[in-house]
Amino acid sequence: MSEIKKYWKSLSQLNEDPIVKRLSENEFVEELPVDKFLGDKKNLSESQTSRRDFLKFLGFSTAAATLAACENPIKKSIPYVIKPEEITPGIANYYASTIYDGYDYASVLVKTREGRPIKIENNGTHSNARVQASVLSLYDSGRLQYPLKSGKEIDWKTLDNEVKNKLQEIRNGKIILLTSSILSPSTKQLLQNFINKYNRVEHAMFDSVPYDGILNANQESFGIRAIPSYKFHKTNIIVSFGADFLGNWGANNYASDYVGGRNPKSGKMSRHYQLETNLSLTGANADKRIQIKPSEQAYLLSNLYAALNGSSADKRLKSIVKDLKKNTGKSIVLSDSNDKNTQLIVNAINQKLSNYSKTLDISIPCYLKQGDTERVHSLIREMELGEVSALITYNVNPAYTLADNKRFIKALKQVNLTVSTSSYNDETAELMDYVAPDHHNLESWGDAKPYYNYVSLMQPTISPLFNTRQFQDSIISWAEMNEVDYYSYLKKFWSNKGIKWNQALHDGDFNLSESKYFPKRFVFQGKLTDNKTQDKNIEIALYESIALGDGAQANNPWLQEFPDPITRACWDNYITISPSTARDFGLKNWNISNGALNGSLVNIKSGNISLNNLPVMIQPGQANKTIGMAVGYGRKKCGKAGEGIGFNANNFSNSNFITIEKIEGEYEFACTQLHHTMMGRDIVKETTLADYIKDPSSGNERLEFSTYKGKLPSNKVTLYDEHDLKTGHFWNLSIDLSSCIGCGECVVSCQAENNIPVVGKEEVRKSRDMHWLRIDRYFSSEMTKELAVEEKISAIDMFSEMEEPSENPEVVFQPVMCQHCNSAPCENVCPVAATTHSSEGLNQMTYNRCVGTRYCANNCPYKVRRFNWFQYAENEKFDYHMNDDYGKMVLNPDVVVRSRGVIEKCSMCIQRIQDIKLEAKKNGDKIKDKDAQTACSAVCGTNALVFGDRNDQNSEVAKLREDERAYDLLDHLNVRPSVFYQTKVRNKG
Amino acid sequence: MIQLDFWRNRLVLFSLFILWFTPLFAEVDGEALFKSNCTACHSIGENRLIGPGLKGITEKRDRDWLIEWIRNSQEFIKSGDSEAVKLWEEWQPSVMTPFYFSDEEFDALLAYLENPPAEEVISASADVTDIGEESDNTTILLIIVLVLTGLVSVLFSVKNSLKSSLNQETQTIAETLLNEYRNFTSNNLNLAGLGFITFIILAKVGYSAMLDIGVTTNYQPKQPIEFSHKIHAGENGIDCNYCHSSARHSKTSGIPSANVCMNCHENITNGTKTGTKEIQKIYDAVGYDPDTRKYIDDYHQKPIEWIQIHNLPDLAYFNHAQHVSVGGIECQTCHGPVEDMDEVYQHAELTMGWCVECHRETEVEMADNNYYTHLHEQLKNKYGGDKFTVEQIGGLECAKCHY
Repeated sequence: MSEIKKYWKSLSQLNEDPIVKRLSENEFVEELPVDKFLGDKKNLSESQTSRRDFLKFLGFSTAAATLAACENPIKKSIPYVIKPEEITPGIANYYASTIYDGYDYASVLVKTREGRPIKIENNGTHSNARVQASVLSLYDSGRLQYPLKSGKEIDWKTLDNEVKNKLQEIRNGKIILLTSSILSPSTKQLLQNFINKYNRVEHAMFDSVPYDGILNANQESFGIRAIPSYKFHKTNIIVSFGADFLGNWGANNYASDYVGGRNPKSGKMSRHYQLETNLSLTGANADKRIQIKPSEQAYLLSNLYAALNGSSADKRLKSIVKDLKKNTGKSIVLSDSNDKNTQLIVNAINQKLSNYSKTLDISIPCYLKQGDTERVHSLIREMELGEVSALITYNVNPAYTLADNKRFIKALKQVNLTVSTSSYNDETAELMDYVAPDHHNLESWGDAKPYYNYVSLMQPTISPLFNTRQFQDSIISWAEMNEVDYYSYLKKFWSNKGIKWNQALHDGDFNLSESKYFPKRFVFQGKLTDNKTQDKNIEIALYESIALGDGAQANNPWLQEFPDPITRACWDNYITISPSTARDFGLKNWNISNGALNGSLVNIKSGNISLNNLPVMIQPGQANKTIGMAVGYGRKKCGKAGEGIGFNANNFSNSNFITIEKIEGEYEFACTQLHHTMMGRDIVKETTLADYIKDPSSGNERLEFSTYKGKLPSNKVTLYDEHDLKTGHFWNLSIDLSSCIGCGECVVSCQAENNIPVVGKEEVRKSRDMHWLRIDRYFSSEMTKELAVEEKISAIDMFSEMEEPSENPEVVFQPVMCQHCNSAPCENVCPVAATTHSSEGLNQMTYNRCVGTRYCANNCPYKVRRFNWFQYAENEKFDYHMNDDYGKMVLNPDVVVRSRGVIEKCSMCIQRIQDIKLEAKKNGDKIKDKDAQTACSAVCGTNALVFGDRNDQNSEVAKLREDERAYDLLDHLNVRPSVFYQTKVRNKG
Repeated sequence: MIQLDFWRNRLVLFSLFILWFTPLFAEVDGEALFKSNCTACHSIGENRLIGPGLKGITEKRDRDWLIEWIRNSQEFIKSGDSEAVKLWEEWQPSVMTPFYFSDEEFDALLAYLENPPAEEVISASADVTDIGEESDNTTILLIIVLVLTGLVSVLFSVKNSLKSSLNQETQTIAETLLNEYRNFTSNNLNLAGLGFITFIILAKVGYSAMLDIGVTTNYQPKQPIEFSHKIHAGENGIDCNYCHSSARHSKTSGIPSANVCMNCHENITNGTKTGTKEIQKIYDAVGYDPDTRKYIDDYHQKPIEWIQIHNLPDLAYFNHAQHVSVGGIECQTCHGPVEDMDEVYQHAELTMGWCVECHRETEVEMADNNYYTHLHEQLKNKYGGDKFTVEQIGGLECAKCHY
């Protein structure tokens, strides 16, 4: 049987193809030309370089390169030629100024180092993440660097001459100034000069997110087109119909006032009802949240008004009506509706409850929103008819933000002269004949009158980086005014009104003594409606994300990477949809093997408007049969970081009915939190106001360990030698979960202070986000441990049900940074002692010592340690401003820019602590409480974060540590953090 | 014993003698007088500053005339002296400040003006002495080696002659050495020992070399301006803080901006050693015309690009104010005798070990600073005693310098 089998490699071999035969005989198809090479004796002998020489050269050059690397590079030290008097290198200067970009307003302090603004601090009031991030937008190299004519560079003189000539040539057509709401009294007067100079000039204002409903309603009710001022701290009951007043609605300083009225220690907390469609930041903080569809608002408000007048209430409103009736003059009802009639009903309700001049006041108006969308619509019609000869835009981007932007773009072609003053070559500017780029806020002079009787000033904190010119200076030039510049105009404007200019500029703001506005008597003439909407339609609810707002700062990488407080996703917008509606359409979210979140895609359509390939984010708390979409994304022209991210939702408007169609494919999200419930653990401890009044420590049961000495609290049980924390300082941070509204201003503040890099969407998907401070968000679940015992549900079933958030969950926010454990698990495991403990209770991280084993990150129970994967500051693949020369200017010179391969984490702003200590030593003085502040605590407008020295008996933080609400996160681990939390108290009915 | 005492007494007497005469020498130092009083307006050469250059002035005018003029030129002019009036007509309205020097001072000053110093010679001679000292050591060593070699050969020849007289086999030096070497190498233990010692030496050398990587002690780059701290801080006694003013307030000591230089050099246009060449570089930076003594309008100013000598890595945070204002450390402790340096070099190692060593030893001045009062009490209870080092208040913790 020993038959030799023959195998063929291919059919051709079997057929004995001659080529195959030749190939099998000849392994090298073509012979190597060795002979030819070696045969060339002449060349070889003439060559000076032998193989050995070559190796010598190689070895030598390697050695030389190595030696050269040991040589220190020559560093230059270049002093000023003439040092400005106010600058001492190494010492920060602070200037009071104002941020206003047509959408966000804040009075701020700008920290500058060697003449560069590097950080924004609040000047007394609350601001938001976008205001904090605006300092990075200053250094955006994507801003326009010179004036443009038809997209090409020209100089200012030519631009001015051409614009002026063309303006003078206009005979019949209108000249339109299209601007955002103008807060500046001096600019308004300045514009009047321009209006008088040329024929038929009109000034139209519009807001990127319209507020016409409430403005027009107040015009009709009280004769003033403004938003009233709200005094949330004076209320017992707050009922908000969709108004995200803690997020983006109205002014962005309501939060401090709101939290001011919710202090459990005083025994008085307002009760907050939120009736809304999307789960907003405000809804997440509400004591009771009711999901409604956008179209139901008018009906519910009518019903509420009727119920307050005695008729029967909708069952969803019963407890609200009861509470409101009990608290006349101590409540606020407000709505985000952009419908005048709906807002008239709101006015009527507040009038009925005698709230005016008690909790809200129209005689102290807020001027932040002045836009008139109707005027813009008529403007587009005029443009189409060719009645407009010139259009000058300022602070607006109508080709992007307008719902009918396509019509606007088309009509723009009918206008002879178009001039934009945008800082960016944005969607509108690129269509214009001329672009006269405006300065950034931090390079500009200005003033703003956002509220009655109050003015804040804007002053430049750096010379203009680019060849730009302030809008007001352009107007002075075009109106051929007899003024040196806008600065002297501004100074004269206020000095003439008796304002002490230098003092006002130093303080940043001042009060006027205007006579109060007396509103006309309010008579309700609106229409009530009892028209309930049909339940089967899918409705749309637009919102502005906390990160981007209206999208003006879309090219700001800090903001793009800022995780949404609710969805915790960044670098995107998406459709939010409730879990049950998602089930109806077969839409899903799922996690892939590395944990990253993926989602289904849909097309949506409303009338003739449609958007395709939209990602779906399943959002507990979203009203059924509705979808939410954030505006501010889908920018086409804004700069490298923001272009092409998300989709533009501006074409839709609220309560549009839409159809959803699921399509094939999946979408990759960058979501920074992958688990949404606390799984029955008490990570965030909670209680209700009623329980708290009975027992202040309710909900904060201290854990006790069984020892041979009997039961002992965790702080009495330890195996370790303890650090001496009584000598010197003991820095502690208290975080009040009742006060924290989750706005995330601290996250961006921390990023700016500590040179935290932006890593981009792909890296965030790999959980490589670098934020030292994150704000965890947890949803409540229907399943609880108690319920499981009661209903005899097995542990596995219980936990799997706990993973599912409720359809209308309660939400908690929890800022988590390094807890600075005094018995730290990370310190024990570092093989090179790169993380050690300080005598002041801080967990220190020494980057230059770290070798990147990441053992500490593994051992950290709070997961706050971040591994630096790449050289972000020198890497063209991470093109997020930090790698270019302009973007580097925002870096804090007191904090090292970490190299790759090291762990980094919250240092409790050690640079600030050291700075304050040095200041005290120099002055021979004690450190006063509140002098030392971390970047997060310094900007917290709601006072949720309190930092201080616990060894200072009189400090606020020492008192808070002894508060009954104080607890350590993951107390059972007994790691003894220097950061502690205060129980969340809700005022449930 | 007696002899020793005798020498000690002599020494004491001698030093007393020197101490007694030193102030006398100082008082009549014409150069110092000139530099502190005259250089603001006069150069020792021919250039015209606010006043005329003083080269050859003692030959041009007689002694009494000069004294009269220096004491009070305005009165001298009023007295009607023809030469004085002529001078006034040329130079008005610049009025020379009256100086009422003593006779000795006038002597010294005029003597100095008569024989202005020739700087180059001095520095060259200093160099020569330096080299001389070094070569001295080598010669001594060479002589010792020669003497010892001679001694060895003498001993060998003695040994050999003794051996030959006893009829024993004689060996030359080379043969002995070779034999010894053979004996030594034939033993493995010896070889191992030798290898071990070589290894230890190499390891030590290698380790030290590694430690020296990045250590740039004595780094002395050539600066864009031949600025001499010796002249400014040493001879003219300008306080460090005058130019490096931010050292007291800020983390950086600050390189003075050119306008600080101009505080003096608006008038002093002529350097002691380098004449106008180096000072002109300041004028080029700020745009100043030393002839007209005016700043040039619309001048494109360019900063002076100094080479940084003391380079701490980015990862280490150092604050001058902490050390200068709070710690009261002298600049020289870290920067060395800057007042003696013509060209500054790095004095200290600036390594972490160097920092830590100082922090271990330096005591913190806690009295009279309210910041420390409470801490001081706590430390007394904790450690006992009254004095505490920087280490004891946490000065060795990582995040005091690394963040």
